[in-house]
Amino acid sequence: MENTKKKWLPWIYCLPAFVLIGAIVLFPILYTGYISFTNMNLYHWQDYTFIGMDNYIRALGKVNSGFLSALATTLLWTIVNMILDVGIAYILAVGLNTEGLRARRIYKTLLVFPWAMPAYVSILVWRVGMFNTEFGLLNKIVTALGFDKVDFLSRNVPAFLSCMVLNLWMSLPYMVVMIDGGLSSIDKSMYESAVLDGASSWQKSFYITIPSLKKIMAPIVIMTTFTMFKQFDILYLLTMQKGAVSGSTLQTIITYAHQNAFVSNNYGLSSAVSMVIFVIIILFSLWTNTAAVPERKGK
Amino acid sequence: MNQTIKKKLHLLLLNLFFSCICLLSLVPILYVLLLSISSGGGALLTGSFGSLTLENYRKIIVEEPFLKWLLNSVILSVGTMLLAMGTSVSASYAFSRFHFRGKNKAMHLLLLLNAFPQILSMFAIFRLFRLMNLLDSHMGLIFIYAGSMCIFGIWNLKGYFDSIPIEIEEAAKIDGSGNLQLILKIIMPLARPAIIVTGVMILIFVWNEYLFATTFMLREESYTLSGGLYQLQANDYSRSWPLFSAAAILVSVPILIIFFCIQKHMVSGLTAGGVKG
Amino acid sequence: MKKKSILKKLSLLTACALTLGSLFGCSQNTAAEESSQPTSTSGETSADDNQTTSAENQTSEQESIVVTAWHDNDEAMMNALAEVVNKALAEENITLRFEKKSDVAGQIRLYGTDAANGPDLYLFAHDSLGGFAEMGILEPVENLIDPAKEADLLPMTLEAATYKDVQYLMPVYYETLLFMYNKDLWEGELPSTTDELYDYMTAHTDTAAGTYALVNQHSTSYNVAPFINGFGGYIIDKDANPGLDTQEMKDAITYNSKFAALQADGDYNTVTTLFNEGKAAAIIGGPWLISGIHDAGINLGIKSLSDFTLPNGNVMMPYSGVQCLGVLKVAAQTKKEAIAKVLEVLTQPEAGIMLAQNFNCAPANSKAYEDAQVAANEMILAMEKTAINAVPMPNIPEMSVMWGPAESLLAAVNKSGEDVDSAASKYQQEALNAIADMQ
Repeated sequence: MENTKKKWLPWIYCLPAFVLIGAIVLFPILYTGYISFTNMNLYHWQDYTFIGMDNYIRALGKVNSGFLSALATTLLWTIVNMILDVGIAYILAVGLNTEGLRARRIYKTLLVFPWAMPAYVSILVWRVGMFNTEFGLLNKIVTALGFDKVDFLSRNVPAFLSCMVLNLWMSLPYMVVMIDGGLSSIDKSMYESAVLDGASSWQKSFYITIPSLKKIMAPIVIMTTFTMFKQFDILYLLTMQKGAVSGSTLQTIITYAHQNAFVSNNYGLSSAVSMVIFVIIILFSLWTNTAAVPERKGK
Repeated sequence: MNQTIKKKLHLLLLNLFFSCICLLSLVPILYVLLLSISSGGGALLTGSFGSLTLENYRKIIVEEPFLKWLLNSVILSVGTMLLAMGTSVSASYAFSRFHFRGKNKAMHLLLLLNAFPQILSMFAIFRLFRLMNLLDSHMGLIFIYAGSMCIFGIWNLKGYFDSIPIEIEEAAKIDGSGNLQLILKIIMPLARPAIIVTGVMILIFVWNEYLFATTFMLREESYTLSGGLYQLQANDYSRSWPLFSAAAILVSVPILIIFFCIQKHMVSGLTAGGVKG
Repeated sequence: MKKKSILKKLSLLTACALTLGSLFGCSQNTAAEESSQPTSTSGETSADDNQTTSAENQTSEQESIVVTAWHDNDEAMMNALAEVVNKALAEENITLRFEKKSDVAGQIRLYGTDAANGPDLYLFAHDSLGGFAEMGILEPVENLIDPAKEADLLPMTLEAATYKDVQYLMPVYYETLLFMYNKDLWEGELPSTTDELYDYMTAHTDTAAGTYALVNQHSTSYNVAPFINGFGGYIIDKDANPGLDTQEMKDAITYNSKFAALQADGDYNTVTTLFNEGKAAAIIGGPWLISGIHDAGINLGIKSLSDFTLPNGNVMMPYSGVQCLGVLKVAAQTKKEAIAKVLEVLTQPEAGIMLAQNFNCAPANSKAYEDAQVAANEMILAMEKTAINAVPMPNIPEMSVMWGPAESLLAAVNKSGEDVDSAASKYQQEALNAIADMQ
């Protein structure tokens, strides 16, 4: 009796959260799954019927070379951005935590500014204020140095780098704040004894700071990785918004799905594509998870 | 003697470094700021903008339902924060402290669910809310935001909860504290930085969200700040850049103020509470 | 102790429930406070609310009806239009109210069948008609008013409002692209052929210094349409065949790319700023640019694109976009008469005259052009002239998926320097796929 209660207890704690998640996160996924078996599109808007696996056959037809290169781009994008994001944020956070740095609060507040702006504002400002060929500040600098104007977004490699810079600009504040929070939770006495042992600052970093941060940061890093993976706004608004197509053909799997299924307003088909992508993300995360297991065992 | 000079030099360099970094990262924002106080109707900063003016700010505050939008933003973000934090603190406490079958699987499942791009959920949520009469209501949006930030909250908090030594709790348990008391009196203060940070993240998310806010709210009076700005200024062809910039600054400033104020509470509960692991 | 802890757990749950409850209460309170606005929770209450609102506003005993319309236009313009309609319908107690919505097309897809929350009408360019008609969410305008009353509407606008022989929409005004130039900057006579125009551009453009002769959104299909249509090409034909890889299309794109090289990056923000700052002597654009140009104090001259002859002897033929009101089926079921009255006002010239006088719109109503002020408006005259040769944007559903591939093709050629032939066949295939995906 007591045991059954104990068994249910954690689930009771989780119940409110699960109800909420069930309605807002799980239900839409199931509903998307349901629509993916119907022929809901412009021509069957209200009178859609079940058509079995047809949409999936068509959706799998989209898993072609274009999709695979989009997947590769997405992986590259995720990895590069995560390394830079965490790396730079770590350096900044450690710097901010230096003893005696009085203006720390002001620095932190200023650094947080990019995060305080709605994403579409930031992206628009970067597109016309920074990357623009005529008036963009970057081009002002480039021409002042005596070079020709550069169209940063018209070719894939510069477009990738431009999107990356913007993405880092937008996501670093969050990471800095999180690592900063993590740093402040590390027991200071550990450093004191390390100093007594004559440890250098590099050694302190490697033997105390990073291992202590790992536990706290692991969930945050994992969550951020997913966010990077499914990032859509930046690439879309910088390079492929209607009326402002920049010329690069860079695609991540989400923009690829958008361009190849969603613009058609065929809800059945695009739902099937969403489900296929969802399965791919699951497989991907299971794969990274098995890779990360030995590390997590240490807990 | 030499040591202190070295330390001072070090700090000076560090200050210089951070000043540069801040300046660099603020360049796009200074751009927006300059646009917002320029009097010309020009679309972009060309170096030849007219005299400085606060007219654009006046226009936003007086001519648009700015205060109403501000109020909506506050209602939504505070409401979401309460709901999302309430649910995720209790859930992540369970995930952190209890050992139960399916725990790890559940955590992973949550993560996987979170991997589904939210934008794809719009249509389904629309159908559900229409059925439940939650369209065009703040409550509906609070549910959406809280639901989408709940997983984030659980994951974000669990790491911190894990780092709180279980011995403290056990000591309290021996003293006869129940679980709720444990959460309120021991875990919450200890995990204060995590809770504040997570709460602020949720707040910022809601504050800056615009797609759901404009899709699910139907009248100009019920938009949030960022939603209203998006609705009225997102279209290239009808955008007034100076107004747009002024509004963007006005949207961001409350977040910065909040952030500045909460910083001193973000010092670790562990050290502040004088408890050592 | 175990029992006690369960109690605690229960109280935790209750606390959560209370939080939820207080939130509910809170939101209800705000809803109550805002009761002066129609809060639509369900079909019936919304109608009730509407009645009280307008009763308060107009202090009339009669039943009054609010007709809402979504748009993504200039707010001042839409409010002025609503004012004209409301003045005409004051005695009928019908109020037209516009609500600005970004991405009107997407919102109409969601709310098009939602009587409680959706709008009654929407105002949008006619090219989205086919999709909405196929979805079955539109009430044909011809079911609401007597076609005889529409005798004054320009045939071109009626054609744009018609899909599969049914007139779904009510045309309000139309737009075409124009050649706008800065009289203080343009040197000498305006050319009459595009080749001369190009010569002028090569002589007067200094990309390094950032000064241009003519700018255009050279990679936006709507803005390249004057070349495409003039060359005899098409983005999509009446039978939904995309024409991105036709020879005419390729010729037009190649010809346009010469111009594009002298027109900066072709982004809307860039080209309008260049023109407004006096760094570009001319721009190809529409009436939506006017207010910005006036604010910048440019000495504006206007010429119809029909005045420019292409190398093949045709004139430039832009698309015409007709801004139309559409009626949602769900709204027509409950507010049929009120909506019909609103539409009827729009068949009269007054609304068109007001839009022309104050906002430089070319009215769909031919009688509006008899007004002296309208007849003297240089811009409207130029659009009227252009309209003779202009091609109404296709309004078949497939058009909605063509903008993307067409624009990508132009950007690939103009911005990434891709070969026209290979890019054309690539994006033709993309267009074919997109069209196939619709079914």
